[in-house]
Amino acid sequence: MHPELKLVLVGLSHRTAPVAVRERYVVSQEDQDACVRGLAQAPEILEATVVSTCNRTEVLVTGRKDCDLAAVVCQRIFRNLPEEHMYSYEDVHAVIHLFRVSGGLDSLVLGESEVLGQVRRAHEIAQQAGTANTLLDPLLSQAVAVGKRLRRETDIGRGSLSVARLAVDIAARVVGSFRDRHALIVGAGETGVLVARHLKALDLGRMTFANRTLERAEEAASEFGAQTCGLDDVPDRALEADLVFTCIEGGDFELSQSSFPKRGLARRDRPLFVADLSVPRAVNADLRRFDQVLLYDLDDLSKVIEQNRRRRTDAADGSASILVAELHKFLSLRTYASFTPAIAELRARFEATRDQTLDEIAGATTSPESIELTHQLTKRLLDVALSQMKESARSTRSEALLESEYQRFLENL
Amino acid sequence: MKTALQALNVLLPSCWMLCALLHGMAFGGPSAPNVVGIRRWALRATLLLHVMAFALLWRTVDHFPVSDTWTTLSAVALSTAALYAWIARSTRHAGSGGIVLGLVFLLQLVASAFNNPVPGTRAGNTDAFQVAHVSTSVLAASSLVLSGVHGLLYLILFRRMRERRFGALFQHLPSLDVLARMTRRAALAGFAFATVGLNLGIGLAHARKVEGFDYADPHVILTLVLWIHFGVIAFSERIRGITAHRASFAATAGLVVLLGSLFLTLFPGLTFHSTP
Repeated sequence: MHPELKLVLVGLSHRTAPVAVRERYVVSQEDQDACVRGLAQAPEILEATVVSTCNRTEVLVTGRKDCDLAAVVCQRIFRNLPEEHMYSYEDVHAVIHLFRVSGGLDSLVLGESEVLGQVRRAHEIAQQAGTANTLLDPLLSQAVAVGKRLRRETDIGRGSLSVARLAVDIAARVVGSFRDRHALIVGAGETGVLVARHLKALDLGRMTFANRTLERAEEAASEFGAQTCGLDDVPDRALEADLVFTCIEGGDFELSQSSFPKRGLARRDRPLFVADLSVPRAVNADLRRFDQVLLYDLDDLSKVIEQNRRRRTDAADGSASILVAELHKFLSLRTYASFTPAIAELRARFEATRDQTLDEIAGATTSPESIELTHQLTKRLLDVALSQMKESARSTRSEALLESEYQRFLENL
Repeated sequence: MKTALQALNVLLPSCWMLCALLHGMAFGGPSAPNVVGIRRWALRATLLLHVMAFALLWRTVDHFPVSDTWTTLSAVALSTAALYAWIARSTRHAGSGGIVLGLVFLLQLVASAFNNPVPGTRAGNTDAFQVAHVSTSVLAASSLVLSGVHGLLYLILFRRMRERRFGALFQHLPSLDVLARMTRRAALAGFAFATVGLNLGIGLAHARKVEGFDYADPHVILTLVLWIHFGVIAFSERIRGITAHRASFAATAGLVVLLGSLFLTLFPGLTFHSTP
């Protein structure tokens, strides 16, 4: 990868450590800058970056080949962390791991996209701190590009795996834009708040929280600038709403045909989307009798989630070719970049030889045309030499070799 | 010139088929190749080619080129595609392109198959009122076809969603709201064009004392009923009781009647209005 530098990744994640351990080593976004600057002050470390999410904390550093960089990182960041909770990768395996992380292949929820943003932020922080240069800067750029490519070209990020998100996605197929829409969320618990977050992110116009205890509804509503109401008002609010999400526990609440005034639902001039995320169900199936009601319960959503999960797993299995191609590209570019001093020297020698030859043959009588001719000749010969070097950089590691390297990496996971 | 027209006659259905396939690829899901850029340019290029074909025909016959059944069908194909491009751009959704352009391909295929690439002259087509009547009527027919197709897609998607089937149609068609807007917007455009086209047509029929023209003629009655029908769909958002679902159903039913009306208009000897 680099004749004199070594790349080392040390970290812990949901694969190796329980949450009680992971939470002790979280590096918050505010602390990341100080953390990478601190790492870069170690004499052994040349470059450093930290990727920290709720499920992983990983430190990526470069330094001289003869240094024990992992030990330095453990000393500074993962002090007292038992070895069984930690992993460490070097050079090509570190690159493979980073590419897999940014592609969401190593995430708790396969294919989730938040990690890509976190890798991007880690890159920005390292750039600002001046701790991403020769190796880390192009590596992190390419890791982000790999993450985007995997999501663009495979199914890895497609289809929701959470019922809250899926319900909102299906709602989007009904209303298109959420901007002028009104959503009623029955239940201000965890699921209700999660649905509200997804809706808010999609620029929902108006939101109402309904809950048994009004205090709880107000608490949730204050986070989203929503209105509140009691459970008794749900039928009236549902008639005004475009979307209804029921996420209520207990089983003493039910929305059915008899909850609504006679012809109340029949008179609606637009579809009413109802997602029942409650167990036991809070919406009676008799609402399906109304032409304008599109009702989905957890069973309906679970089937789709299972399909999406299968699709993502297949995509993860099929993403190896993209990862290997990107790995090959990165290593070729790095190998070629390591030729830079040699290229500069070659250029200087070509030019010196040209000047010397001109002096020997023509001396002071050299015409401008001859000088131009020798310049062109030198440039073309140099181009031939450089393209040969590029080709040899590309063939340093064949894709077949990298593929077996990648398989070895997967076997050791 | 004649050779160029003959070549375009063959080329146009192929180009429309390509556009329909490129737009239809969205239904193949993420594994299908990403052709968003290519399909946009293919549609623009085919529209331009079709316009060029009509311009060339105009120059050859030396009068407004929409003069018989098959050139009218070709004009309906062209204006349907152009209006679709406009509506897709304004609603920012091209999910119905595969179906609409598939219909355009079929229309052009029939037109090209039976078309005489260089039709004879038609005296009436040098008159500006006649040209305006034909142009607005073609645009009205295309808009109403679009409205009907989007209404039908709304009904299909709605049914799929009620049956909780989340397949390719669910994934790639525009949302119900967008389909309803497309149905109404196209109906509004159709209503506007039809208003102009109908008035010009009635005016021409009186001015030229067209033989057989009568307000009691079934074709005239059918056209007027369609005009009112799509007018109601166009403004249905403001009419209480006409839901998006009902408007879509009405647009689909209107499409069937419209196709019948076009048949009466285009085929010889059926009504006073039939083309020679």
